[in-house]
Amino acid sequence: MNRIHRRSFLQRTGAAAIGATALGLPQILPARVLGASYTQPSAKDRLNIAHIGVGGMGGGHLGYMLARQSRGDVNVVAVCDVDENRLASAVKSTGGKATPYRDYRYVLERKDVDAVVIATPDHWHACQTVHACQTGKHVYVEKPACCTIEEGKAMVRAARGNRICVQVGSQGRSQREAFLAHQYIANGMIGKVHTVKCWHYATPSDDNPVPDSEPPAELDWDLWLGPLPWRPYNRRYLHGVFRWLLESGGGQIRDRGAHVMSNALHFMDADRTGPVSVETKGRIPTRGLWDSAIDMEVTYQFKDPDWTLVWAQPGEMVPYFDRDRVKREGIREGYGAVYYGDKDKLVVWVGDGQVYTEKKAVEFQKPAGGVDVPKSPRFDHHEDWFEGIKTGRKTIMNIEGGVATAFLCVLGNLSLIVGRKLAWDPMRQEIVGDEAARRLMSRPQRFPYAL
Amino acid sequence: MKTETTLTAAAAVLTGAASAAAADAAAVNDLIAKIKSADDAVRGPAWQGAGPVGAPAVAPLAEVMSDPHFEIARSAKRAIEKIARHAGRPGANPERKAVEAELIKLLSHSNANVRRHAVWMLSEVGDAAAVGPMAALLADAEVREDARCALTRVPGSQATDALRGAMDGAPEEFKYALAESLRARGETVAGYPSKKLVPVKQTSVKAEA
Repeated sequence: MNRIHRRSFLQRTGAAAIGATALGLPQILPARVLGASYTQPSAKDRLNIAHIGVGGMGGGHLGYMLARQSRGDVNVVAVCDVDENRLASAVKSTGGKATPYRDYRYVLERKDVDAVVIATPDHWHACQTVHACQTGKHVYVEKPACCTIEEGKAMVRAARGNRICVQVGSQGRSQREAFLAHQYIANGMIGKVHTVKCWHYATPSDDNPVPDSEPPAELDWDLWLGPLPWRPYNRRYLHGVFRWLLESGGGQIRDRGAHVMSNALHFMDADRTGPVSVETKGRIPTRGLWDSAIDMEVTYQFKDPDWTLVWAQPGEMVPYFDRDRVKREGIREGYGAVYYGDKDKLVVWVGDGQVYTEKKAVEFQKPAGGVDVPKSPRFDHHEDWFEGIKTGRKTIMNIEGGVATAFLCVLGNLSLIVGRKLAWDPMRQEIVGDEAARRLMSRPQRFPYAL
Repeated sequence: MKTETTLTAAAAVLTGAASAAAADAAAVNDLIAKIKSADDAVRGPAWQGAGPVGAPAVAPLAEVMSDPHFEIARSAKRAIEKIARHAGRPGANPERKAVEAELIKLLSHSNANVRRHAVWMLSEVGDAAAVGPMAALLADAEVREDARCALTRVPGSQATDALRGAMDGAPEEFKYALAESLRARGETVAGYPSKKLVPVKQTSVKAEA
């Protein structure tokens, strides 16, 4: 059942499909089909998409979906944001056709919405993903997946328990040269990989701190904070710069680590594992609201198989070999990773919407009987999500992979916060032997924004 | 002879304790002076290195949290975090208990921001001894939501009992929040269903079509 026209399938099978899904067969239908209120699929077999968070990356996702809408692939039926200016702009971009919402829970109440794209600040990702899963919506959620260990576990439970297709926005895994690098490594061309060293430039510091103030009229500050403990507004919280705060972003290790280390877990086939120890050293800003480390080095030790992952800011940057291509394509060499095997090494540059690797991997021809690695259709991360929704197969950055990656980011910051090396049980997904650090695996949410 | 030896040893202990107290006081005074510096090159390293100064610095730092210079107040708050997290390290139980005791005292501080910060810090390093004082804040309108969250994080039946016990006298709306905490801890609660999926905030933006 790889390819099937959904409308004809619905007409032929109707309720039988619901039973099949309940029995554990692939989820091939939009989530609303499973609801009691379902009557007819929407026009032209399109998924009805709602966007929660339409600024920054959210604006990019909306633009992508509107392009798909113009080709008849999807319907963008709703947009949602806590900033009225951003919301108004988003509505305008849909030609005034999408229904605007401030509170995402109105979106989740709509039975005709099949899937949501969540591109809110990080501290909202878990709640909104869990709630979307619980209301039967398929989910594309921006990276990093979660801010705490408890949040990540709840996301996995919600996706599995409700049979929801989740794609986490670490789109590097879907890129062509990521596929080629993965294929090269998986086929043993650099031997057994023992070390992966990432490099990344520094996290910004708040060098011009400002006092708390009244929030701007267009912003619902309470809803922006959501699950975070209440505090007065400060304009250093948003927009975009939330990512430099540990509780709502977590610095470059979370913002870009969720790309570069996502690729590392993917290439090492380690989504279902985790480190046994995490040790961080870092330089924290001496002033300002932003508290994420400016520079940091995190060492993750994996066992069975044994390998070491190092997240380093700044680390040792490797210049891309083709300087003309750097200029032509605007390659952001400021981050990437080197994979060290017992036979050779391989460099992978950037890691998000851009991924580049060495010629030897690009030109490598997989031998007959060689190892196949996952490949997103048309090297398109959203397309991979759509295929996951329609076929029931795992997305390339499924919730387990997204959470495993986010856990690396979270644990790296936690080691810095408590100022000591942490021991981690990758099977139980728990910090061990350190009660105080263990409590930081969760951060209870402000009512009513609970998981 | 034996008595003389015992007295000498006791005197040495007292002298040592006095010296330690003096050293503590000097370290605290030095920390507070640096935290109050307007120069972040002085203040920053001070709060970042505050951990080992420990429990004696908690109350003085809490006073600096009211400083009108927002960066100084923030530095004091962060210094308390450093102290709590340093004291929470494995094998440092006496230090943790000492910090816990100081944080408990802050739960009755006149500044709500201090009470709020103390209860969150106790969520990291507090044990059964802290639960009662933390639970008292469930009746504090300014801080009760933070106290609820903080107690939710503290393991053990005492915290569960405290959350359940607060249901009786709590304002009706807050009972929903307490019920959420109890359910998060695996408890069964009659009534007060979750409101997490109930939308309440309307936008003024209109669709144009």
